[in-house]
Amino acid sequence: MFKKILFATTGTPSCDAAARVAFDMAKRYNTELFIINVFGIPSRSFSQVITDLRTGDEIDLHDDQLVKIKNKLERRYQQQIHDYNSPHDIVLTDGIPHTEILRVARKKEIDLIVMGARTSTEENTGSVNRHLIGSTLQNVARSARCPVLIIGRAAASFWGGISNIIFGTDFSKGSSQAFEFAFNLTKMFNASLHIFHAIDISSGPFEFTKNQEVIEDRIREVRGMIRKRYISKMEGYNDYEIDVWEGIPYVEIVKYARESFADLIVMAHHTKKMAPPEESVFGSNVEQVVLRSNAPVISVNHPARQKK
Amino acid sequence: MTKKIMIVDDDPVIVKYLENIFKNSGYKTCVARDGSQGINIVKKENPDLITLDLEMPEEWGPRFYRKLSKEKLFKNIPVIVISGLSGNQYAIHKAVASLTKPFDRDVLLKIVKDTIGE
Repeated sequence: MFKKILFATTGTPSCDAAARVAFDMAKRYNTELFIINVFGIPSRSFSQVITDLRTGDEIDLHDDQLVKIKNKLERRYQQQIHDYNSPHDIVLTDGIPHTEILRVARKKEIDLIVMGARTSTEENTGSVNRHLIGSTLQNVARSARCPVLIIGRAAASFWGGISNIIFGTDFSKGSSQAFEFAFNLTKMFNASLHIFHAIDISSGPFEFTKNQEVIEDRIREVRGMIRKRYISKMEGYNDYEIDVWEGIPYVEIVKYARESFADLIVMAHHTKKMAPPEESVFGSNVEQVVLRSNAPVISVNHPARQKK
Repeated sequence: MTKKIMIVDDDPVIVKYLENIFKNSGYKTCVARDGSQGINIVKKENPDLITLDLEMPEEWGPRFYRKLSKEKLFKNIPVIVISGLSGNQYAIHKAVASLTKPFDRDVLLKIVKDTIGE
């Protein structure tokens, strides 16, 4: 299922947790590993002068510089590279980070992109940004043809294999694709699948949020929907659980993942356009789960964009 | 009755170090080199407290803890996480404490004493 993994990194501490997962996964599942570092943005078209993405300084791009960057990257991941003990490919490039990550993912026919939720630059631009998902990740998650595994917090990087998967559904078209992916993953790892839906009581009509009987009727209805939509497609696979909770969806998913010791959360990412930062303080559910969860999150894109 | 502490860690140096600390303070010890051995040893030894490393070759600490939490008789054994990994305080949210290697011996002993007594 994952023959090729692309680990996108800035080579800074903000990507260490993602590195831990990427290398562990590549080693554990005998996967080919590509590491991409987009180190700078050209100051002008075809210019040899680039703006270093970590420092913001303008630097002259020459072969020595590339060797330097590569050495630095290899030093940073020295232990992981040693433990992985298989050939890996480091792709160094300049350009717009998300464009380059997507281009390499397409070119190398990557099955899974692994990345952190934010770059170091984004982490250093104020406390508000620490509660937002990075723009590079937003762009990659929106447009990737393969699933994107996101490690939002160091806590989400305690990997050690997959045996407990949560599929969070909102019953959208994207969720059907995400379910297919989550179920294939579950079968492949002989794991337990938790199918979870959170009924949003934060934004419903007052009568709905006030009346617990109405909420519990809705919970029963949703459980039926899960059986019809998902369980019926599970070909008799019976290591699963259905759970429907009420609350604020992303909070409930994070709580559920914590209580059920999830190794992985799979969700659909179907945000069509990027919200400007001032409007995305709370972001979409998947983005909030990424930032808050103790487990890594795999964002599965819209079916039309998935790799055939 | 002498309290027993189980050490779950794959690093023999750390295991030896922890054994010495606990034995010198009057506790009994038992050891699991990996999370995968851990549950059987818990059932056999019934420890009063567990110190748990996170990153181990076969089975990581959080996975061991998940199994432990499903065991009715043993799920409430207090766990102290001892790991060199960043963010280790978030790995097992029900752990009584998380210490980062290298840790202060006195801090560890105080936590142990506060949790299970002398």
